[in-house]
Amino acid sequence: MAFKIASSPHVSTSLHTNTVMKRVAFCLIPGIAVQSYYFGFGTLVQILLAVSVAYLAEAAVMKLRNKNIKATLSDNSALVTACLLAVAIPSLAPWWLIVIGTLFAIVIVKQLYGGLGNNVFNPAMAAYVLLLISFPVQMTSWVAPQTIAMNHASLLTSVQTIFEINQSFAAEYFRLGIDGIAMATPLDTLKTDLSMGLTTTESLAKPIFSGLAAEGWFGVNLAYLVGGLVMLKLKVIRWHISVAIIASLFVCASFGFLVSPDTFVSPLMHLFSGGTMLAAFFIATDPVTAATSPRGRLIFGAMIGVLIYLIRTFGGYPDAVAFAVLLANMCAPFIDYYVRPRSYGHRTGK
Amino acid sequence: MLTLLEQLDKGTLWQSPGGIHPPQLKTLSNQSTIARLPLAHRFVVPVPLVGEQAVLTVAVGDQVLKGQMLTEGTGFTYLPVHAPTSGRVVAIEQHATNHPSSLPTLSCVIEADGQNAWCELIPHSLEQLSKNQILDKIKNAGIAGMGGAAFPTHVKLNPASEINLVIINGVECEPYISSDDRLMRDYSDEILKGIAVIHHLLNPQRIIIAIEDNKPEAAKAMQDAVQRSTLPAGIIRVTVIPTKYPSGGEKQLIQIITGKEVPSGHIPAQLGIVVHNVGTAYAIQEAVYQGKPLIERVVTLTGEQIGQPGNYWLPIGTTINDALQAVSFNPSAAQKVIVGGPMMGYALADLDVPILKGTNCLLAPSAHEIAPDVDEKACIRCGECAVACPALLLPQQLFWHAKAEEYDKAASFNLKDCIECGCCSYVCPSDIPLVEYYRVAKSALKIEAEEKRQAEQAKVRFEARIQRLEDEKNAREAKAKEAAAKRQSNMKSTDKDAVAAAMARIAAKKAQATSSTVSPEAPQTTVDPKKAAVNAAIERAKAKKAAKANTVSRANELDTSSAEVSVDDKQAKIAAAVARAKAKKAAQANTESTVQTPNPAETEVAGTEPTADAVDDKKARVAAAVAKAKAKKLAQAGQTDDSAVEAEPTTDAVDDKKARVAAAVAKAKAKKLAQVGQTDNTAVEAEPTTDAVDDKKARVAAAVAKAKAKKLAQVGQTDNTAVEAEPTTDAVDDKKARIAAAVAKAKAKKMVQASQIDIGEAASQPTVSVESTADIAPDAALTVTADSADLSPEQIKKAKVAAAVAKAKAKQLAKRAEQEEQ
Repeated sequence: MAFKIASSPHVSTSLHTNTVMKRVAFCLIPGIAVQSYYFGFGTLVQILLAVSVAYLAEAAVMKLRNKNIKATLSDNSALVTACLLAVAIPSLAPWWLIVIGTLFAIVIVKQLYGGLGNNVFNPAMAAYVLLLISFPVQMTSWVAPQTIAMNHASLLTSVQTIFEINQSFAAEYFRLGIDGIAMATPLDTLKTDLSMGLTTTESLAKPIFSGLAAEGWFGVNLAYLVGGLVMLKLKVIRWHISVAIIASLFVCASFGFLVSPDTFVSPLMHLFSGGTMLAAFFIATDPVTAATSPRGRLIFGAMIGVLIYLIRTFGGYPDAVAFAVLLANMCAPFIDYYVRPRSYGHRTGK
Repeated sequence: MLTLLEQLDKGTLWQSPGGIHPPQLKTLSNQSTIARLPLAHRFVVPVPLVGEQAVLTVAVGDQVLKGQMLTEGTGFTYLPVHAPTSGRVVAIEQHATNHPSSLPTLSCVIEADGQNAWCELIPHSLEQLSKNQILDKIKNAGIAGMGGAAFPTHVKLNPASEINLVIINGVECEPYISSDDRLMRDYSDEILKGIAVIHHLLNPQRIIIAIEDNKPEAAKAMQDAVQRSTLPAGIIRVTVIPTKYPSGGEKQLIQIITGKEVPSGHIPAQLGIVVHNVGTAYAIQEAVYQGKPLIERVVTLTGEQIGQPGNYWLPIGTTINDALQAVSFNPSAAQKVIVGGPMMGYALADLDVPILKGTNCLLAPSAHEIAPDVDEKACIRCGECAVACPALLLPQQLFWHAKAEEYDKAASFNLKDCIECGCCSYVCPSDIPLVEYYRVAKSALKIEAEEKRQAEQAKVRFEARIQRLEDEKNAREAKAKEAAAKRQSNMKSTDKDAVAAAMARIAAKKAQATSSTVSPEAPQTTVDPKKAAVNAAIERAKAKKAAKANTVSRANELDTSSAEVSVDDKQAKIAAAVARAKAKKAAQANTESTVQTPNPAETEVAGTEPTADAVDDKKARVAAAVAKAKAKKLAQAGQTDDSAVEAEPTTDAVDDKKARVAAAVAKAKAKKLAQVGQTDNTAVEAEPTTDAVDDKKARVAAAVAKAKAKKLAQVGQTDNTAVEAEPTTDAVDDKKARIAAAVAKAKAKKMVQASQIDIGEAASQPTVSVESTADIAPDAALTVTADSADLSPEQIKKAKVAAAVAKAKAKQLAKRAEQEEQ
């Protein structure tokens, strides 16, 4: 009989791409849960919406490209992209926002570049930036965390708000805060206050902040940190990028805080508000768009950390994760080219 | 800071980068001692390199005994092949071999007779043999590295550099394989005896037996054996290393044991380290102490599809089919049979292939033991491959470039340092067969390099051919011109024609030498026959100059000055001779590195011109004829110096008719000689022709030549010897002798400097030396006559003519000598 031939090795690990992606999605769960607690069921609705659109969009593109739809969808990468985008936008944002964002992420940022593994930019972040620039009002209107909000939406009202079904029920009612003023994120508030001449201490006295960090956001960030640590434990991600982001952001913020505590917020505030932990563990660690070598990843992460700090502190936008990640994405190929590890038996990397 | 030896003694271990921890699965096969299977009936022993490096020592139909040599080779690295059992050679044919390609190779098929009778074995002890005899025994036993690479062991045991550390590799890091494990457990003392041979041959400072910590029994057995062994205490130790694939790789093991990296493209011996497999140590011991060649080895037969997995002594040449059948192999659908382990082994399509010296395992896994066939998915650049790579490469970049067929870029990421261990493929979440991509890329690079090499060779060949064709073409053209010139000279018979013919011939020769044509200048010279001759001579001189032409200015001036003078018949001819001489001198000057000599020579010539008036008609013609003969000879002559020698004296002072006759004769002889060959005798033969030479002159010339010859020969050694030549000139006419002698002395010195004839040449080419010196004498005479008023006009005339002629000859000869030297 003829025997089967194949190239070595004949054994392989069971950790495949789809498993990796699935684990990333699972590790998002604590963060999503906490986010839902503080900001209502809207987040879950957004995720559902985003995932459905993402799979549909990817299937459509695969059909157009005459590729195996099932094989592509089963790699779960669309799931992760959709989840990341969904948790990044305001929970009660109108439905078309997440649809536009997801379509852009899947069709343009990912598939037009050749699909998984070939995209230059992180799809979720590219879509986030598109939405932020195109629809700044919707993208910055976060509901108040339920702990300080007068009203909070039930699942039904969330759906109604997102899909703009019952206008009279007033999406505005929830979108706007207690006193009818649009509720900005803590970082946004801080930025506005600082520009109005308030000190950080005065600004932090507002109800949106609790103690050292922002109300609600501290918990959300903590949950993403936990999820990230689980990923590290599962070896879904390596530590280099996450540690580099956190460390560089901490160093920058500490420096600013020590120099002028009145105009620069504390490092803790930086680390536990906005999308810091989400970025450090779930977004920047997207292997496709990051640098590949350990040293390259440290540089890549440090770059993101510094950019986050600079844009948050001196830039025009309250949060900077998306911009920082995209800028670092652009640099990844260069980092890889110039930061080559030394091979066995060689003196230098080249 | 501890030294390396201290650290080795302490058992310090270093970290090898990357690596993986696949399931070991060794217990499947390592539970029982090494067993033997019933003798197979048919053995296939590949005899590679027969016809290239080796010859067969058996023929079809021969009876062979177990251990009998089947091939005999000459190469240093050639390993002979032995019969695995006694029986009959039934075929020597192309047979599929144990290789991923299964390509057929010449194999000796032996039908066992069941006797299994050994050939005569010659046991020895170490003391009985010299190191070279031991190495010969190991070579003749056909021992190759048993770890898989099968590199000839005697080569590694005879390194060019000193070996400080020998590592005995008992790591066996591949999953499933346990042949070394069992060998160490069951034959630890024999392995130690083999190690003792290695120690005897290499005399290293330390020997480390490295064993992974998943083989505690083997480590224990080896430890005990070390204690029992007779090796000097403190030299050898067993070092247990952590289990990690691929720690058993040579480079990785060296890194773990010593912390050193083998530089890329080098071998461990350059670090003073050599690594041998435990199986090799066992085989060395068998070969040296018992005289047994390597005809069997331990093979792990394992996998869930094998009924009795375990380790077995299998004769090399046993077919895999026979081996597997003997252990109840039960193939499943889509069964893979892997030679080697699951990480680096290759799957076979055909099982009728033999066990080889490097075959340590046959794996017949069930479907769930190995990775299912899955399609390659997109690389997500996760970088896990880079983390796993023990060679610290960037497998993902290599893959990227290999897939895009940008092989040069892949090479720039050190593709050649890939050891194909399979770690990257193992960890790849996208199921990309990375190693396969690298193999393809490596092959492509190899082919590319080979093609480049061949293209370069072809280019060299092509250029050589173009050059050859060009040379042949030039030679043909020159020959044609020469023939034309000769025809012309044969048709006419007047004196002037003879001169003209000579000139034409010379021109032809020059054309040959320079590839430039002289003919365009010829039409200008057509006034009366006399002037024609003058002009022709001038033209000739010019042509020569032009040909040589690096720095012609001085020679040019001389030419024009001589051309402008409205000379009569006689003068013309003298002038011609003079011009020729000058031209030659000038030409020589250009080619010489020392420019000093030609300058005085030329000024001398210029000074003599006015006094040349008195030379009579006949002599001028004689000179011309002589020049002609000379020129011809010289030109023909790459051929022989001798021919020049003969012709010269012939014509020296004969009258008109005789001169022509002599010239013709000389010409003929020169040709003959050129064709016939270059014997020293020819010089002798030519001498009789000098009988016709005028008495006095002959004597003078002969004496001078003799003197010069001596001088020249001596001058090579010392300048003072020039003086010695003087007495020999006594017999010559008083005045001439004095002048000639003085001049000759001076000239000889000059000439020695000028023509740069070194001692070696003077000795090896006596004819040339004599010739040139003889020529120099009259040349010098010419110089001196200008100011020595006491000489008769007759003498002066003769001297000058002779001088001019001789000078020309001298230059030519000197030049030629120089060329030959080059």
